[in-house]
Amino acid sequence: MKRGVPGTLVLVLSLAVLAALVLLPMWLVGSSSFKLPREIISRFPTFFPHSFTLQHYQKLLGTSAFPTYFLNSTLVAASSAFVTVLLATLAGYAFFRLEFRGRDFLYRLIMVAYAFPSIVILIPIYLMFAKVGLIDTDLALVIVNVTFALPFSIWMMRTFFASLPRELEEAAAIDGASRLATALYILVPLLRPGIAAIAIFAFVSSWTEYLFASVLIISDAKRTLPVGLSGIIGQYQIDWGLLLAGASLSILPVVVFFALVGRWFVAGLTEGAVK
Amino acid sequence: MRFKGHALAGAMALTVFGALPALAVTEVKIWHMEQPPHRVQRVQELIDAFNAANPDIKVSQEPQSWGEVYAKVPASIAAGNQPDILFAIPDFTTVIRKVDKLESVADFVKELDAKHHFIPATVEPYSYDGGVWAVPLYNMSLNYWYHKKAFTAAGIEAPKTWSEWKAAAEKLSKDGVFGVGLPANKQLYTDQTTYAVMVNNGASELFNADGTLRFDNPKTVESYAFYKDLYKYSSPDAANWTWGEAEACFASENCASILQFTVISTYDQQGGGDPAELGIAAVPHADDQKESATIAYSNAAIILAKDAAKRDAAKKFIAYLLEPETYGKFLTMEPGLFLPVTEDGAKSASFWSDPLVVKYKPQVEQMIANSANGKLFGFTDGRVFPAIGPISAQNILAETLQKVVVNGEDAAAAVKAGQAAMEAATK
Repeated sequence: MKRGVPGTLVLVLSLAVLAALVLLPMWLVGSSSFKLPREIISRFPTFFPHSFTLQHYQKLLGTSAFPTYFLNSTLVAASSAFVTVLLATLAGYAFFRLEFRGRDFLYRLIMVAYAFPSIVILIPIYLMFAKVGLIDTDLALVIVNVTFALPFSIWMMRTFFASLPRELEEAAAIDGASRLATALYILVPLLRPGIAAIAIFAFVSSWTEYLFASVLIISDAKRTLPVGLSGIIGQYQIDWGLLLAGASLSILPVVVFFALVGRWFVAGLTEGAVK
Repeated sequence: MRFKGHALAGAMALTVFGALPALAVTEVKIWHMEQPPHRVQRVQELIDAFNAANPDIKVSQEPQSWGEVYAKVPASIAAGNQPDILFAIPDFTTVIRKVDKLESVADFVKELDAKHHFIPATVEPYSYDGGVWAVPLYNMSLNYWYHKKAFTAAGIEAPKTWSEWKAAAEKLSKDGVFGVGLPANKQLYTDQTTYAVMVNNGASELFNADGTLRFDNPKTVESYAFYKDLYKYSSPDAANWTWGEAEACFASENCASILQFTVISTYDQQGGGDPAELGIAAVPHADDQKESATIAYSNAAIILAKDAAKRDAAKKFIAYLLEPETYGKFLTMEPGLFLPVTEDGAKSASFWSDPLVVKYKPQVEQMIANSANGKLFGFTDGRVFPAIGPISAQNILAETLQKVVVNGEDAAAAVKAGQAAMEAATK
């Protein structure tokens, strides 16, 4: 179907508005992080910086624990994404390829976990983790992040498994491939878009998780970025330059990660939607 | 035989020296909510100096956030991994007393008082139920900050009464400048500014002497109605403000005046930075009141440690912080925000020699003077009502203000609903 001039115009305008909505705040945060303090809080905000300074980045990286928080967040988010992908793929295979008693019940039970507001289970989780010595450890955050990301990831996997014909596995079985070999060499490569989608979802969820990280982590050396950054900013007084520099650096890993696997992520979303 | 002798001597040495550190060092863990890096660094410097002078004690800090500490501390107490010293404010102390059996520090406070002379108003919020539950460390009070230049240009003085305040706000509101910066967020800052207006209209008491609520009274209603009148001259986005936004509005000269604990470091680093142009006054009072009052927070240290050795070590560290030589360094971790709670601390050279305090000395002196008439809701006139904990935690003062200012409800109806909400919260 050919799109007419008015149609193209509407499309371009809509995309421009959408892009502005997404990119403008990022531009303002990023560009303002290079402005002098006086210009940041100026009565008349400047779209393009009239001043240039690296003082906020120097202060952030030189005098605060930001690098430690950054490293902790990277470790926790990467581990959470890895474990979520592994478990969601295995669980997806079990739920959508294997036949066993209570399968539907178990699947629904896992989905129920997704319905619980996290604040409700915050204190019980704290007490349970305290009993087994997990308070103030990265492992505690990985467990929580995986727990919350897994139900949705398994549900996403369902669409991707549904798009794979069973005949492929049957053909592999006829050729003598074991179940593990079939999964590794046939299914996983075909599931790559789904795996990418889940990895990004789990990574971003973990990267931005605040509530559990603020309560389960006690020492400064173990803090993740969202919690650490809120502390750096201060309560009664806000160092806006520091806040903007921290916010700008915080989005970098997500952007880099998305750039690496984003192609598969988009492919995954569209495949899941169409088939 | 020779080998056997050496082995025996080695084993004995290992036993003695291996056991020594475990016997000697008492570890003290502090949780405080002073998270910005420069404050953490200053506290660490003091800790390092203390640890060096006291090799038998090892103090460490774990900065926390006010946002989570209300949930985190009770959970840590339940799990048995609470800190040994916890920084607190009065209403938070009532929350802690509900979840932990605190030991009174009355004797310790008395001992410190004999040496340093506490300002009585800073100890009172922690003295009730036959004990003293925390050791005051620093004070904070809300002040009226203004740009002298803007006032001079408008030909007016800093207001002393409500009618002058309203007239000044009206006159200063022009050319995109807001005459006054007042928040209306459902948040602690709005609790504070609302109460600062209430105390200046004789509505400082939220409770009757028998503990029943008396929030719903004509003076409170008048205060809310006046706040609504003033709010017209505040920034349109003030319904979402916390302290930082108000300070930015002031430092950028978008707001001619604001109510804030301090603006000194932001004004110095991000604003004009000219001390001669920075005005400070007491929060204006209602026309029928004689003098100004304000809201003041006495911040204190609760000793949560149960072990006798840890308690002694914790006391030693707190006593060290209050020594005039170190106290000024402690207070100036955020220059111009934290005020002394002891008489000798108010005179200490370590406080007055801080470069920012030197630069803004008249302003700091005025802050200290304003704090002398400081009050805190639920802790007034030597009486303490622990029921204030949930009222404060749910920001009911601010919630009531939002109804008046944002939703446009009648002040009397909103205050009546506010009292009902307080009764429900404290049941």
